[in-house]
Amino acid sequence: MYAAVRINEIICIGCKKCIYACPDPNVLSFDEETRKVSADESRCKGCGLCVSECPKDAMSIY
Amino acid sequence: MNTWINKPTRALEEFLQTEYQNLLGNGPFSEGNGFEKLGTYKEIIEEHSHCAGCGVALGIRLAMAALPSPKDTFIVGTPGCSFFSLSQAAVNYSNTAFGNQNAVASGLKRMLSIRHPGEAKDVVVLVGDGGIADIGLDMTLHSWFRGEKITTIMVDNELYGNTGGQESGMSPQGRIMNMAPTGKKFPKIPIYDMAKQSGCCYTAKVAVSNPKALADSVRKAIILAREIGPTYVQIYTPCPTNLKVPSHQTLKMAREAEKGYYGFEEFLSSEGEKFLDAMR
Ligand SMILES: Cc1ncc(C[n+]2csc(CCOP(=O)(O)OP(=O)(O)O)c2C)c(N)n1
Ligand SMILES: [Mg+2]
Repeated sequence: MYAAVRINEIICIGCKKCIYACPDPNVLSFDEETRKVSADESRCKGCGLCVSECPKDAMSIY
Repeated sequence: MNTWINKPTRALEEFLQTEYQNLLGNGPFSEGNGFEKLGTYKEIIEEHSHCAGCGVALGIRLAMAALPSPKDTFIVGTPGCSFFSLSQAAVNYSNTAFGNQNAVASGLKRMLSIRHPGEAKDVVVLVGDGGIADIGLDMTLHSWFRGEKITTIMVDNELYGNTGGQESGMSPQGRIMNMAPTGKKFPKIPIYDMAKQSGCCYTAKVAVSNPKALADSVRKAIILAREIGPTYVQIYTPCPTNLKVPSHQTLKMAREAEKGYYGFEEFLSSEGEKFLDAMR
């Protein structure tokens, strides 16, 4: 894995914008109880679309 | 497709891949796992080889999540980048010789309505702009003239992505591409307007940066095609690789186009309107 997304779960407000911006399936998932998004880094291609959509700067590519 | 046919016997269940188990346990075929719940269940598509930030991949992912009845859907594809994810999806799928998609889909739909009378079997063509506007133009238009009850969805990246960036009939005038170094000489082919003229009862033009409208149009198109006639959805899905734009700017490009020539547009025939009203 060269690049993947990392989510700051404290900042995430669970708006799900990133989920509708990610071109790859099953990368980002939404926990209905905590209302936070988490990422499966092994599936992420690191394109950064979620980062550019996030209204709270809770995501970054590392 | 009967989902119970795909269910393994208890004794074998633990040997299956977790992806397969999730697909059957909490996947797209379970009641209520639709577009609005994306991110809370195993999606219909598995990992694929689309480039990072691919607009086509996003368009297909969203359209697939919006299928009203994925287990009774038959996707017909054709060469182009779209097959990278279509071939990775847990849905009935057939590729065709380049450009033949609407002819194949017509036959498939007719066969299904003889074999399963009274059942809703959705035949959906999901292909690139070159497949529809260039090599498959005659077969696409004729399927509309004949009033075949199929849905045609174009993922329009405005070039031939799969073969390295040649110009397509859908490229905008003046666009410079890898294999069109002096720029395209004529404007985009008006397929969207032709669809309205050629017998489609519903047409929509939407950018991939507008997921709600995208899902809404795909759903409407498929449901109307069950009863009324051909429908067409054109999705703008920019290609960062060939346009040499950083991969995180695909949606920015789509939003810019949305402000101009790719703003959301919808057309519904009077017959289609009556049908949707009766459903509500
Ligand atoms: C009969 C035939 N001619 C040419 C090709 C080569 N070919 C494969 S994909 C493609 C272009 C596809 O462009 P488009 O439909 O826009 O899809 P995209 O890759 O952009 O998603 C071409 C020319 C082919 N497979 N078959
Ligand atoms: Mg194309």
